[in-house]
Amino acid sequence: MLISRRKQRILTIATYLVLAGFTFYCLMPFLWMFVTSIKPDDQIRTLNPSFLVKKMTFGHFDNVLNNSAFLTFFKNSLFIASVTTVAALLISIFAGYALSRFVRFKGVKLFGVAMMLSQMIPGVLLLIPLYLLMKNVSLINTYASLILAYTTFTVPLCTFMMKGFFDTIPYEMEESAEIDGCSRVGIIFRILLPVSLPSLVSTSLFAFLNAWNEFMFGFVFINDESHRTLTPGVSLFKGLYQTDWGSMMAASVLSVLPIVIIFVFLQRFLVEGMTAGAVKG
Amino acid sequence: MLTLREKRARRIAVAFIVPALLFFLLLNAFPLGQVLWDSFQLKNLLNKAENGFAGLANYAEVVKAEYFMTALRNTVIWTVLSVAGEYVLGLVSAIALNQKVIGRTLFRGVIIIPWVVPIVIAGMTWTWMLTPDYGILNIWMVKLGIIDQPYYWLGELNTALLTVVFVNIWRSFPFFTISLLAGLQSVSRDMIEAAAIDGAGVRRRFWHIVLPQLKTVSLTIVFIHIIWTAVNFDFIWVMTEGGPLHSSETLPIMIYRYAMQEYNFGQASALASMMLGFMVAGFVLYYFYATRKNRG
Repeated sequence: MLISRRKQRILTIATYLVLAGFTFYCLMPFLWMFVTSIKPDDQIRTLNPSFLVKKMTFGHFDNVLNNSAFLTFFKNSLFIASVTTVAALLISIFAGYALSRFVRFKGVKLFGVAMMLSQMIPGVLLLIPLYLLMKNVSLINTYASLILAYTTFTVPLCTFMMKGFFDTIPYEMEESAEIDGCSRVGIIFRILLPVSLPSLVSTSLFAFLNAWNEFMFGFVFINDESHRTLTPGVSLFKGLYQTDWGSMMAASVLSVLPIVIIFVFLQRFLVEGMTAGAVKG
Repeated sequence: MLTLREKRARRIAVAFIVPALLFFLLLNAFPLGQVLWDSFQLKNLLNKAENGFAGLANYAEVVKAEYFMTALRNTVIWTVLSVAGEYVLGLVSAIALNQKVIGRTLFRGVIIIPWVVPIVIAGMTWTWMLTPDYGILNIWMVKLGIIDQPYYWLGELNTALLTVVFVNIWRSFPFFTISLLAGLQSVSRDMIEAAAIDGAGVRRRFWHIVLPQLKTVSLTIVFIHIIWTAVNFDFIWVMTEGGPLHSSETLPIMIYRYAMQEYNFGQASALASMMLGFMVAGFVLYYFYATRKNRG
């Protein structure tokens, strides 16, 4: 024992208190978001707000789903984030493999440095030229503009994550496959990827989250309601609904729903990916 | 002389990096060059007659702009306070999670949640909780006697920026928690036990053994977050749009205004290039600090 029993007990109590405080701090906004979304207006606009819902209503959800373009935004986001995930994953599997196995070539090493630097370039600094570029090739107001931008900004992180995972797989496994006449692509898809399935999941999780949560490019590249994504769409509700907080919170609940579902099932992978990202820098 | 096998391997390596390289060159390197180039050009979409080489005129205009100094100061306040707050909360929560507690995975899961929701949603939910009429935080604070009457936190000159900082800390600290927790778990048990045997108390062990071992990971995440926070556009835009009266306007908001509201791409690029300059300077400082430490 490193400390006396009495001190240990005080520390344990303090730890639980701190954790309880953090739990409240982290969850309270979500709880309030949810409670607001199912309350009728007279319970929202009151000076005695309560977490208890006296009369539940789905009116706000009905309003958001049937009287607004919310479903369109949702579908657009889902489509763009899914395509981005697949594209970023395909590109970074190969790039990560090259960085893991072929660093002995100077060009590959240089490529690694370029990826590292590009990870540091913030999107807002590239906003103007990217906007002009998209405009010049008439991609403004298309899904392609966002897919291209999101893929660009996700590939470096995904590449480094994949590289890290490939690094942990011994090369001997590949050598024997190579002797048996398996091609490089075959080696990656038949041998490496099945082994690193959890890593694949956490990488795609990151790509999806990045695309789903992005706001600025979606806000600037898309002016057309039918192509708009969820985050700018919901932020524009603010002007549309003025102070109809019930509907705003209903829209928020619906937007975080897919993330919460992903999160509940895949928390372990998310943590793994976050740590990998942090250690690498 | 490369063997045949090496030559083939090199061909494969090139083929594997080409897709990622194309994205990098077309959508990262080329736009970056364009920003630097445009910053020396007159480029205004509303006034197309005005174009050509501008020299340093764009930079001069930006620096002279009425709210440039305000935005610069706001960016510094926003960045420093956010990162400091995130670090403190991250460290406290990481230490708590590193103890032997029941339901640790659950607590950890709960703490990460703010980090996975879109910034827009986080900003909006807090805006609702902070509204002067019927916002729950205002009502609570009045009931607890902290304030006399509901306060318009996001709409007053002296609190708008600080309020957004507060919400930003809420959303971003989990990243610190996870990274620092990983760091704490790799602190060697043996060293702590040895120090305990030598008579070092809990506090002493923490300051002299645990904290120094967190230095590398701390330096890295703080550095990354300084950049991420300084260039963040979403939070401030969603919650205040830089208002009221530019009191929460930071440089990224200013870039957006120049580009998408005044269509003055030359000046917007000049501002972006300046920010890039700050970033590179920070990067160089960090690099020298890191390498000097490694040598010494």
